Amino acid sequence: MLSASPDPAALRRLLATRFPGAHTWGESTAPPPAPAFATGLPAIDDATGGGLPLGALTEIVCPAPSCGGQLLLGQLLAAARRAHRRVALVDAFDTFDPASFGDDALAHLVWVRGHGDLPAALSATDLLARDGNLGLVLLDVRAASLAALRRSPAPLWYRLQRAAETAQLPLVVHSPRAFVPSARLRLELNQQRHTLADLATARPSLAMALAPTLRRQRLNLAETA
Amino acid sequence: MFAVLHLADFPLHAILRTAPDLAAKPVAILASPRARASLLALTAAARAAGVTLGLTAPQALARCAALTLRLPDPAAESEASAALLAAARLLSPTVETTAPGVVTADLRALPADRHDPLLTAALTQLAALALPATAALAPTPLLALYAARQLPIPPFRPSALLPFPARLRRVTDPRAFLAPLPLATAEPPPHLVPILAGWGITTLGQLTALPKADIAQRLGPAGLALWERAAGETTRPLTPAPLPVAFAARLELEEPIETLEPLLFLLRRYLDRLALELRTAGLAAATLTLTLPLEDETEHTRTFRLPEPTASADLLYRTLDAYLGTLRTTTAVTGLRLHLEPTRPLARQPGLFDAALRDPHAFASTLAATAALLGPDRVGTPQLLNTHGPDAFTLTSPAALVPPAPAEILPPLGLPLRRFRPPRPATIELTNHAPGYVWTPDCEGAVSDHRGPWHTNGEWWTHADAWTREEWDVALADGGLYRLFRTPAGWWLEGEYD
Repeated sequence: MLSASPDPAALRRLLATRFPGAHTWGESTAPPPAPAFATGLPAIDDATGGGLPLGALTEIVCPAPSCGGQLLLGQLLAAARRAHRRVALVDAFDTFDPASFGDDALAHLVWVRGHGDLPAALSATDLLARDGNLGLVLLDVRAASLAALRRSPAPLWYRLQRAAETAQLPLVVHSPRAFVPSARLRLELNQQRHTLADLATARPSLAMALAPTLRRQRLNLAETA
Repeated sequence: MFAVLHLADFPLHAILRTAPDLAAKPVAILASPRARASLLALTAAARAAGVTLGLTAPQALARCAALTLRLPDPAAESEASAALLAAARLLSPTVETTAPGVVTADLRALPADRHDPLLTAALTQLAALALPATAALAPTPLLALYAARQLPIPPFRPSALLPFPARLRRVTDPRAFLAPLPLATAEPPPHLVPILAGWGITTLGQLTALPKADIAQRLGPAGLALWERAAGETTRPLTPAPLPVAFAARLELEEPIETLEPLLFLLRRYLDRLALELRTAGLAAATLTLTLPLEDETEHTRTFRLPEPTASADLLYRTLDAYLGTLRTTTAVTGLRLHLEPTRPLARQPGLFDAALRDPHAFASTLAATAALLGPDRVGTPQLLNTHGPDAFTLTSPAALVPPAPAEILPPLGLPLRRFRPPRPATIELTNHAPGYVWTPDCEGAVSDHRGPWHTNGEWWTHADAWTREEWDVALADGGLYRLFRTPAGWWLEGEYD
């Protein structure tokens, strides 16, 4: 019998007791694994069970300077090229450096250079996510202030999630703090401490050494990319 | 067999095609601007008000005060004629502009079972272009013309579509078809009309019942020709119309347009016709040029290079719609000109591993919409410029095909740079001629390690653009690797190695 003001957790337990079949995943009713986009980085692909989820938002949090955010972005560009996917990078604060990668590595990239206007960048991301010709969409808002991020309405992020679902593409957001409410996967780059000696190290080695922390994962993944 | 596509009340329908709001109103077309000119064509509303063909303008206005009188519009008639001709080319490569609103096609090389489907397709296409034409099929061009003229005029709708039998007629027995028709059908010479009337001849059958030799003897060559027309014995070769070499349209507006919707409507009408012409000519549009003359006597011109050649009116319209939605002019639009540059349709087989676009036109629309949000020079694929200058690149249109990445001989070194654009001014405290402490809007701290300086310069041969800088890579004690550079103007923070 329920109390006058039922505790939600107690209510769930009661429902689970009364209707066990509707609230437990048996082997035959387990949700199918969601497809994934392999990044080529074992630290991510192994931790997530396949890579970045298709049809979902992934947030990569880069809270510290020189934590490897651009390195990871470059790795995603390379992985997309290997997978014959076109990429759109919505660079909200115009921080991308083409000279760091070279023409051959960027032939599949559509670079959208923002002016620091976060709503315009989100609108551009929405347009590109719905296009149907792209295999990966990246949104870089790392230079946004916390105030600007807090002002961005949550429905906009859920709209992006739905756009990614419809197009079944991975949509990756690079942010300075964890704030994307609709992110199905959240990784945080916080533990790497690069030195000037790394500027003379082969980039693939640096990428392989990235060790992002898995902060959120809401889907089971199966590698398909 | 010959087919005729006939657009009755041609001057009226040519105007209604671009001004459909007049169709429901009482409108009449005058033959000329002269005072005693008679009416050529009427809308149904004008007929219902008691106006009839042949009246003069004052007589017509006396019967219907709300009557709108218009003169024939040569530009609209030219546009409608081009549409009729393009639809006729769906039937046969040999087509003739027989008269205003009449096009004849030679179907003798076409199997008989293909006649009806192709004619239906041509009529459907014309209906989609707001041209309610009728069609007839007969052994000679003249018979086909007579048959097409006998069909009832379909009511005008912006995209009318009547059941097939009402708009198509096939003449299988010329004599039986011609016999009951009035004598005026064969267009008798004026001097023979009273003679034949005196003989009591009112139908073509009555005329052809008389011996041909006697008619020739009594009425001369004109009478013989009339008899042959009445008997359906007249045949002639068609004068083929040349294929269009230019795919263009122009319109001078009577009233300037200030809003988008009427302009888009007109553009769609013209694009439908131009796209049909391209398709029937086996061509596609490579570029689309739109020119809008404005009220202040200037012109706004924009050329669109299409991602792939296309003859689809929908894709061409979408290109214009996306652009015009963001266009703002200082004065109203007084006309329009469209020009499509024709080319062979694209026929390519991409490589098995090339990343091609699924829908190039949708992609172009997306990029156009994104550029409208952020600026035309802010979207594209980056390409480095052949210079040692810093941050030197240009944005190009994304390639239609992206080849597989070449094998990497030497991997790149180091962390990529995350740039600050523009570079941030920095205040540097030097220690032993090297940066010891850094103050910038983005970071601050003591320098724990540094590399440099590297001196670079360029454009020294062009004094105005000459540059020189001294670069340093620094690591701050609190974390972060940065690139600094010094110019004669001071210290700057170029970016963060990330």
